[in-house]
Amino acid sequence: MELVGTVVVLVIKSVIFILGMFLGAAYLTLLERKFAGHVQQRPGPLHVGPHGFLQPIADALKVLTKEDLVPDNVDKVLFYLASLMAFVPAIMILAVVPFGDPFTIFGVEIKPYITDINVGLLLALAFGSISIYGVIFAGWASNSKYPMIGGLRKAAVLIGYEVALGFALVGPIMMAGSFSLREIVEAQQNIWFIIPNILAFVVVIFCVLAETGRTPFDVQEAEAELVGGYVTEYTGMKFGLFPLAEWYIATFVLSAITVILFFGGWNPIPFLGWLPIPAFVWFFLKVFLLFMFFLWVHWTLPRYRVDQITELAWKVMLPLALANIFIVAIWIIIFG
Amino acid sequence: MVKIKYVKRPELENRERIFFIDFIKGMKVTLKNLFRKTVTTYYPFEKLTPPKRFRGTHAHRVKDGTEPPSFKVIEKFMDIKDGESRCVACYMCQQACPVPELFKIEAIQTEDGRKRVVRFDMNLLNCMYCGLCTEACPVDCLIMTDIYETAAYHRGSCVTHMEDMAERAVDFDRRRKDEPDRIWIDDKERSKLWGQIKWS
Repeated sequence: MELVGTVVVLVIKSVIFILGMFLGAAYLTLLERKFAGHVQQRPGPLHVGPHGFLQPIADALKVLTKEDLVPDNVDKVLFYLASLMAFVPAIMILAVVPFGDPFTIFGVEIKPYITDINVGLLLALAFGSISIYGVIFAGWASNSKYPMIGGLRKAAVLIGYEVALGFALVGPIMMAGSFSLREIVEAQQNIWFIIPNILAFVVVIFCVLAETGRTPFDVQEAEAELVGGYVTEYTGMKFGLFPLAEWYIATFVLSAITVILFFGGWNPIPFLGWLPIPAFVWFFLKVFLLFMFFLWVHWTLPRYRVDQITELAWKVMLPLALANIFIVAIWIIIFG
Repeated sequence: MVKIKYVKRPELENRERIFFIDFIKGMKVTLKNLFRKTVTTYYPFEKLTPPKRFRGTHAHRVKDGTEPPSFKVIEKFMDIKDGESRCVACYMCQQACPVPELFKIEAIQTEDGRKRVVRFDMNLLNCMYCGLCTEACPVDCLIMTDIYETAAYHRGSCVTHMEDMAERAVDFDRRRKDEPDRIWIDDKERSKLWGQIKWS
């Protein structure tokens, strides 16, 4: 009986999280288009609903009702698998992201996270990496030269930044003494981990941009040189899933993880703790600001070449991550 | 001999390398633009007025007493009523036109011996809007208006006829005849967008 109850609660929670993420991602597209528009001094979507507020719904209807073409000589299994492979793991990272402390409402304790396992961070990293395979499979399965180049580029970049990302996360883990994201947040009640881990933060920003394929590092789709990159042969919703997964869900979830690791998760901003603001509002505020920062970078910088990204990853970011581990070790020795 | 000077690309300073100076400069530019006013014209809902000299769709000025002397001297040989196109079918526009089959002009002799223009068609699909025909017109008949929305659903609709052109010119003169002839006009919208333009 207890098992059934747990399963029901988990299913309800998962459905809420997934639906919330879907709607959230849809409106993140609107946010991005508005932001991009205003950065370039145009207003962005404007006519569907007040100030384009219903534009995501119109887009969704359009993408869902489009004809779904599959080219003749593609590798059918991988071709279908790739779009799911990019999308599902990206949304599965949500399973380990905690949005706040457990709280009680009407006498029922509600935990605002699906699961709190002691290797949460590793799981998040693993799902993030699997999500990249969607891109590589799409490039391989499309039987076309531009997707192929895009997929290979992503594979080349992947090898570079994954190593640096892994080492960069060691710092916060050392300070918290746990892989559990909830415990990492609880360890930051006095001081955020950004303080000694500033180098790791730079590396993580680099890695999140590279992993989600946002613009300084969007070599895998590089619309100016590769037509559409790995999504060239895709149409309809299969096409729509890729940007949704990579640009919105992955960026949002990885922003959440970065906030948890470096900015104290749902702990209030220093000196503002007396404000009557619930924990998850603080959390979403921070995630939103970080997401806006990624958008800001995306719509500012030009694209790096693949060799430049790889060089940056191996020659700059990896040493920075290692140096960060050293600094954090000394910090722990001195301050306990 | 042309002297070639080789310039080395300046290396990044350490300061720039460590603190991402250029990166921050770029971010500053985008942030500044983010809070600027947008420059979009919401086209189907609001339209910018082109300058008066804009070379838009052609039109025929009508006979209304404002003709130049060149028209006055041949007026008595022409069968043109007031409010009709003042075209005298001199074929100067067709001569000036760089496109061979653009103009279709026909004139007949009426029973009292005067000349009447019965057809003046321009196939605007072939037109490159160079304005040579309007410069060639000796009676200030053929002009170009500020109308720039020339799209149509059928090719036939792109051929403009004498009556349409007369109407268009009447409309154009009503709107913009008295306007001082400037390269750019002091459009309210334009000055709102780019500030007042100084005329030399």
